[in-house]
Amino acid sequence: MSKGKIKRAASTLRALEGITFESCLDEGNHCYDINKWLIEVAWEVANKVGGIYTVIRSKVPTTKLEFGDNYIAVGPLNEAQVRTEVEIKEPEIGALRSTINAMRSQGIGVVYGNWLIEGYPQVVLFDVKTAMWRLAEWKAEMWKSTHIGAPDMDFEANNAIVFGFLVTWFIGEFLHQLGSEPKYVISHFHEWNAGVGLMMARMRQLDVATIFTTHATLLGRYLCAGHCDFYNNLDNFNLDKEAGDRGIYHRYCIERASAHCAHVFTTVSQITSYEADHLLKRKPDIITPNGLSVKKFSALHEFQNLHALSKEKINNFIRGHFYGHYDFDLDKTLYIFSAGRYEFSNKGVDMFIESLARLNHKLKSANSDMTVIAFLIFPTNTASFNVESLKGQAISKQLRETVHNLQNELGKRIYEACLKGDLPHGDTILGNEDIIELKKCVYTSIQRHGLPPICTHNVVDDSVDPILCALRKCQLFNNRYDRVKVIFHPEFLKSTSPLLAMDYEEFVRGCHMGVFPSYYEPWGYTPAECTVMGIPSITTNLSGFGCFMEEHITDPDTYGIYIVDRRFKSADESCEQLAQVSCFGF
Amino acid sequence: MNVARVHDQSYVTLATNENYALGALTLGSSLRNSNTNRSLTVLITSQVPSPLVDQLRTVFDLVELVDVLDSNDSANLALLKRPELGVTFTKLHCWRLVQFSKCVFLDSDCLVVKNSDDLFDNDEFTAVTDIGWPDCFNSGVFVFRPSLQTYSSLLTYAVQQGSFDGGDQGLLNSFFPNWKRASFVYNMTTNASYSYAPAYKQFKDSVRIVHFIGAQKPWYHSYNLDSGSVMGNVTVHESELINQWWKVFVDNVLPGLNEETVSRMSVQLVSRKPVSVSVPVQQEQVVEAAQPQAYHEPAPSAPTGKVVGGVEVGSEVHQQKWQHGQIEYTGRDAFSNIQAHLDAQLKK
Repeated sequence: MSKGKIKRAASTLRALEGITFESCLDEGNHCYDINKWLIEVAWEVANKVGGIYTVIRSKVPTTKLEFGDNYIAVGPLNEAQVRTEVEIKEPEIGALRSTINAMRSQGIGVVYGNWLIEGYPQVVLFDVKTAMWRLAEWKAEMWKSTHIGAPDMDFEANNAIVFGFLVTWFIGEFLHQLGSEPKYVISHFHEWNAGVGLMMARMRQLDVATIFTTHATLLGRYLCAGHCDFYNNLDNFNLDKEAGDRGIYHRYCIERASAHCAHVFTTVSQITSYEADHLLKRKPDIITPNGLSVKKFSALHEFQNLHALSKEKINNFIRGHFYGHYDFDLDKTLYIFSAGRYEFSNKGVDMFIESLARLNHKLKSANSDMTVIAFLIFPTNTASFNVESLKGQAISKQLRETVHNLQNELGKRIYEACLKGDLPHGDTILGNEDIIELKKCVYTSIQRHGLPPICTHNVVDDSVDPILCALRKCQLFNNRYDRVKVIFHPEFLKSTSPLLAMDYEEFVRGCHMGVFPSYYEPWGYTPAECTVMGIPSITTNLSGFGCFMEEHITDPDTYGIYIVDRRFKSADESCEQLAQVSCFGF
Repeated sequence: MNVARVHDQSYVTLATNENYALGALTLGSSLRNSNTNRSLTVLITSQVPSPLVDQLRTVFDLVELVDVLDSNDSANLALLKRPELGVTFTKLHCWRLVQFSKCVFLDSDCLVVKNSDDLFDNDEFTAVTDIGWPDCFNSGVFVFRPSLQTYSSLLTYAVQQGSFDGGDQGLLNSFFPNWKRASFVYNMTTNASYSYAPAYKQFKDSVRIVHFIGAQKPWYHSYNLDSGSVMGNVTVHESELINQWWKVFVDNVLPGLNEETVSRMSVQLVSRKPVSVSVPVQQEQVVEAAQPQAYHEPAPSAPTGKVVGGVEVGSEVHQQKWQHGQIEYTGRDAFSNIQAHLDAQLKK
């Protein structure tokens, strides 16, 4: 199919925004009639590495409705995950069966089965290591047709190349097995590490329509992490040099060549589209925002109840954590949090902490009786739990138990007294021993020398950890007079934790607001998740989700989505805006 | 304090190309430094360039050229049936050194850090366990008795049974099932993530022979001559060992190297001042983890015409440059050139 033809088709698609897609969702009947197939290729099919896995999973149910069994997801074999996530069987579709057998007869390990997710799609997984011996041959072919090579030592690139060639082989063989009848085969590739398959399918002139979707760009991630004023300089970078200097030139070439060779190029958000236009030199034909399966969170009327239940768990944790310093009113306390992959500046943690410091100052100077407790959930290497944190939980638990026992005891005494016809007196009910018990508990808690810890764990390389350093620099130490308290939880939340025994979803529900002031966030599931769980969130106009909301919703604030401007404002102004929103948004 | 030399026993190693010849030279020097009283033998193939052969003669007592195709008919025939075992057969040649009563074979990626002559107290077949599967031995260090009879039995066995790992280690493990175990200190295989760190800490000072297994050989790293330390992405305990290798190399091998090899290695040798050999080294080169150099001459490819920087665009030599990380991304290999090529291919 010629590129021009597909491009024209794509542009008409864009013009057909009012189309009722529901009519296409016929369980694949139309696709069977016209022999139309969709092969979706990604490194994260049944193989969780990062966000692409969620993307694929969430789009499968609808795609299956449209394509039925003519939808095939293709990925690399990750044996550990396949054992729990894939029901292995032999394919029923003849062409698919003979394609897989043809590859197996040449020693390639191919697993076929149904992925146990909503939609139950069929997956074809290649065992990359069974084809590793052909690396040199395939590299030579790639070199001849694309003039792109790869250093011997880059194992990730080698894997991507072998995987790519296996995919191309699969597509070629599959087209052959489908026979000479008219057919329409679409192959959709995600990210650079599937890109080799796209390039080679084009180079081998296979009769297949190709789509390339990038969810972020390689160079973008590197440049942003390197503290340069990324978005204001997007059109000034010398791309080849930047990629080459960072040792990722060959990967960048694969990515850019994939975008260049694809019939249709798409990305997931306005901001990534802007980035791709400059860094891959091709403007995406369509933007396909990521979705979330909202059904999972459909308990609309229960939001309030769930919030109250989860919040009580957080309250309990706070009571223990701040023992001896618990002089604030939990009813006048706000819980805000930020969470994600530990990328200090890309995720905007720097800005979050800076604005917390400003908020602290504002609240103090306004003599506010509000307290804000900010959680930072960013997993990194830790040695163990912080003893002081554990101790806090133990002390509050002991007090709770003592009071509970006393309560029972008091009840009995009052009952006894009344039975005998006496009205109970304070002294007779609360005896000296009871007071002593209570005093013991109170003394342990006021015997606290240090401040409540800002981190729940002992972080490895604590002295250079960027979050801890930033907190120290801003002097956020949980002093009594601080109105903003911080707790850095450097581990994923688990419901089995001895400190904060909640999973992520439960925790989010218990908080009042999520704050995600990302600098580099091609899509950003975290604020989207907050929204569907009924928790307001702050994001930026540099995150894909933020842009999407800004574009499609006239007043995102009313939906609980506050968007901070990091694009056209200086870092200082953005911080100020963030502090302002956090402060007076409530 | 040189003890009386034992002439009928020898250490044996093998160099199959320029790279491994550098390894063999370093190994040979480390053996000399350990005051061994045994002979030193190196088996070489015709791929080793002649200046390096000359240098090998200065370190080793015996330099023996082996060439499978020129050897006896049985090996030739055997190889025809199982071409994949080519390199393995080269190693088996050590059993033909019948002028010696007993030998210790060492891979050329080994380094002797302490005198290991007491290995000769053992008999055939003594080796050290493999850390990947301790019921097997690692074939990088072993004691054997040269014998033409064993040699031919090995060949017959190889042709009939093959090797379970496609290399010499699988073959020898099957052939010598009753091997005797020598201490790990005679073949301490390096491993990026050493699995038993306390033992390493406890015993590292008694190590006699270090064996650099894995793809990233010491000679592929960059080395800073001024600070005497390896550069790039290596763990601390790896770098200790690799530094030892480089020290032997710089002290004993580098001064005698021919110009061509030195100039080729200049990318890896980093120094503020020119190195004390005839060809000056590039000034203060910053090279993160240098890539291996091209050691074999790539086969000529169909001409594409355009030559940039002495390299024909799109040729195999050009591909090799990429494989070794030498990408001229601001010139010859700029993406605009790649894109032009892609467009030409798509139009076909």
